[in-house]
Amino acid sequence: MPDRDYRPVVVPNGSKLPWKVVDNVKVFHLVAEEVEHEFAPGLKAFCWGYNGRVHGPTIEAVEGDRVRIYVTNRLPAATTVHWHGLLLPSGMDGVGGLSQKSIAPGETFRYEFTLRQASTNMYHSHHDEMTQIGLGMTGMFIIHPRRPVGPRVDRDFVILLHEWRIDVGTERPNPNEMTDFNVLTMNAKAFPGTEPLVVRQGERVRIRLGNLSPQNHHPIHLHGFHFHITETDGGRVPESAQHPEGTVLVPVGSTRVIEFVADVPGDWAMHCHMTHHMMNQMGHEFPNMIGVKPGGLDARVRTLLPGYMTMGQTGMAEMGEMGMPVPPNSIPMLGAQGKHDYITAGGMFTVLKVRARLESYADPGWYDNPPGTLAVAATSDELRRDGIDVNAPALVNPGAPA
Amino acid sequence: MRLSLLVGAALLAGGCASIQKERGHAEVAALVEERLGRKTRWNQGTPEDAEVARHLDALLKEDLTSDHSVEVALLNNPALQATYEDLGVSQADMVQAGLLSNPTLDGSIGFPISGRGVSEHEVSLVQDFVDLFTLPLRKRVAREQFMADTLRVAHEALATAAKVRKAFSEVQALQQLMELRRMALQAAVAAADLSARLRTAGNITELELASEQAAAEGARLELAESELALVEAREHLNRLMGLWGPRTQWTLSEKLPPLPDQEVSLAHLESLAIRQRLDIDAARKQAMLLWNTLELARSARFFGRVEVGVHEHRDADGPRLFGPTLSLELPIFDQRQALIARLEAQHRQGERRLMELSINTRSEVRAARARLLALRMVADRYRRVVLPLREKVVEQSQLQYNAMQIGLFQLLSAKREQVEAYQGYIEAVRDYWMARADLEQLVGGRLREGSEAPTPSPSQPSQHVPPGPPGPPAQPAQPGTPTGHGQDVTHGTESPHEHPHD
Repeated sequence: MPDRDYRPVVVPNGSKLPWKVVDNVKVFHLVAEEVEHEFAPGLKAFCWGYNGRVHGPTIEAVEGDRVRIYVTNRLPAATTVHWHGLLLPSGMDGVGGLSQKSIAPGETFRYEFTLRQASTNMYHSHHDEMTQIGLGMTGMFIIHPRRPVGPRVDRDFVILLHEWRIDVGTERPNPNEMTDFNVLTMNAKAFPGTEPLVVRQGERVRIRLGNLSPQNHHPIHLHGFHFHITETDGGRVPESAQHPEGTVLVPVGSTRVIEFVADVPGDWAMHCHMTHHMMNQMGHEFPNMIGVKPGGLDARVRTLLPGYMTMGQTGMAEMGEMGMPVPPNSIPMLGAQGKHDYITAGGMFTVLKVRARLESYADPGWYDNPPGTLAVAATSDELRRDGIDVNAPALVNPGAPA
Repeated sequence: MRLSLLVGAALLAGGCASIQKERGHAEVAALVEERLGRKTRWNQGTPEDAEVARHLDALLKEDLTSDHSVEVALLNNPALQATYEDLGVSQADMVQAGLLSNPTLDGSIGFPISGRGVSEHEVSLVQDFVDLFTLPLRKRVAREQFMADTLRVAHEALATAAKVRKAFSEVQALQQLMELRRMALQAAVAAADLSARLRTAGNITELELASEQAAAEGARLELAESELALVEAREHLNRLMGLWGPRTQWTLSEKLPPLPDQEVSLAHLESLAIRQRLDIDAARKQAMLLWNTLELARSARFFGRVEVGVHEHRDADGPRLFGPTLSLELPIFDQRQALIARLEAQHRQGERRLMELSINTRSEVRAARARLLALRMVADRYRRVVLPLREKVVEQSQLQYNAMQIGLFQLLSAKREQVEAYQGYIEAVRDYWMARADLEQLVGGRLREGSEAPTPSPSQPSQHVPPGPPGPPAQPAQPGTPTGHGQDVTHGTESPHEHPHD
């Protein structure tokens, strides 16, 4: 039973699949269907998912449960569901053609098996994977241990990583893309669409990460804390094999679980460290404009194209702030306004919010930095005191004694 | 007494035929004005010519319009002026035809050689008599010849007007195309400029820079080409308008007009052409003229030379004699059969030519109209579909640029394609108006926009021509039962050169 046998997981921006018990069997119903999904404010697309969601709702159960999962196909194509990482009879493994007959449009299939291991798992279509995963047919499958293992956690987050190709101005992900993914998501949301992970100071936090991106591994970096990788696909990592990390690489088709104690309050970034994965809808045909001096070019081009402005000479940072008209259904490559300034991040980026006091786990807003704990512009008094001449040549010492 | 009567009648017959300088041209001017709504003038060194020159200067001082350029050409085209002189020649022929042949005065005097007797003299005044009978018919033939010439000259004027309209459209289009080429150059220069800046920043290769710079130079040369084409088109129009010196400084700011809302129906165009084409009318008159000539020959078939006259004779010692003389050629051997056969053949030839001209005209009208419709479709497609699409491509490219999805190069290339589409549109509109000028020439007058029954009155230059001019029957051996020119006897259907007289 939830809250008695296990602490239920939290799925930021996500949902969980409801169930009922029939004759000691937990019965679920998944419906594969087309879904209009919002990736971030200003960007919607027609995806394929389950039960009106992208990604599908998280299935949560307990080691030893007998589960019966009905899968109804309301898609225009056949489909199957593969229970990724689960130990089960071959005929329930959901590989179309190999394990079973594919579920034709309009049909409902029944999967039934006993959950034999406690671990973090996933599910996804295993029929025409390129198309169906590329369009979003994935979800998480959490199996809690029957008996608690390790220290009890207070907050147990589930995040599924994914990547998409949605051209600016289009309304459907292109599943044919191989390399140029331009929308990178956590639970199918790109920053600034991602919900923060809210934690009370001192709580023990577990973050379960799954990666069903078509192509890319994601090194997820958490600011402010060191964590241990406590679980991989196979389950719990023995304590002796755990080591402290700041970044966890989540390979394609894998899950990783990290745990730490959130003992320092603040707003802490958690993101994929591949810099392009922190961008939204990057345009790869935009020339490299860094260092270009437009001079009189703008005025000349404006006689042909009113409203033209040369962009990108110092990078992409101002892009979201310029407010220039862009195609409908597109989001800035970078960011959103933060407390102190514009946050120049997008894509696989979210914020871990640790607070000393919390009314609820709803978004508590921006962190108020106690005096003396915020980087600010140096005063000239400080510079003089410390002998810093901002106009002098920057100094270095030789790398080795002379 | 009888002599004086005879001489008086002869002088009367010949006397009405005198040269009137403006005669033919007034008719040409009327024909042209009826069809084009523009006056034409034959410069003959009169004081009014100065007024015409002032009028020309006034026309050329303002921005030139298509109508004004036609007017200038009609007043000033030197080739046309030379053609007008044909009317003088033709009129002289007509006057000549109205003159009686001069009477012959014979006189002889004989002196006695032997020294005996007195000198003897004989005087006679003889006038060819047949002239008097054939004069009206001859005059009619000559008048018809003159009318045919008038029509031909007016036709030339219309042809010149069509050429002027086409040249005018060409100049208009080239002016607009040049504007577009300037824009294309501007886009290419901007791309080259950006490349130079990118190269300075170290972001692109020399290769990319050189390619963009080469493209800009290409655009510059294209602009130079179109500037030359404009100069040449202006000079073509200058030639047609007969201009030189300061008068060539005219300006033209009007853009190519949009297409008229609808086209004139094909059936109407064909009948319009048959009705008002001046060369068809001229061919019709030519055929009639040959018929009249034939009639003349036939009526004089059994007349040889008939000469009547008076003579006076006095012998040395005889009485003084005075009396009429008659000299009669006896048409025993030459009964004009060869001449008649030739004229019959020529008349049939004239009929066939008229037929050919009419059939060709109808076909050319159909082809020209088909071309007009095709060009209308192209221009219309450009205007309604292609240009808005190109506009949208630029607009959307700019949004994509703003979203930093594409760069300035792609944005400028979208702009260039838009400019190219405009070029295609302008060329299609220009071709349309040129085809329309062709069609107008083919139907022998202006087309009123969208109107189905815009007709200058039929093209008869004078009231002398009966609606159904008499022609010979299919068999020339049956004179006296002329059928209408238009009647195809064997089939009973309308002939190609026949038109309903509405």
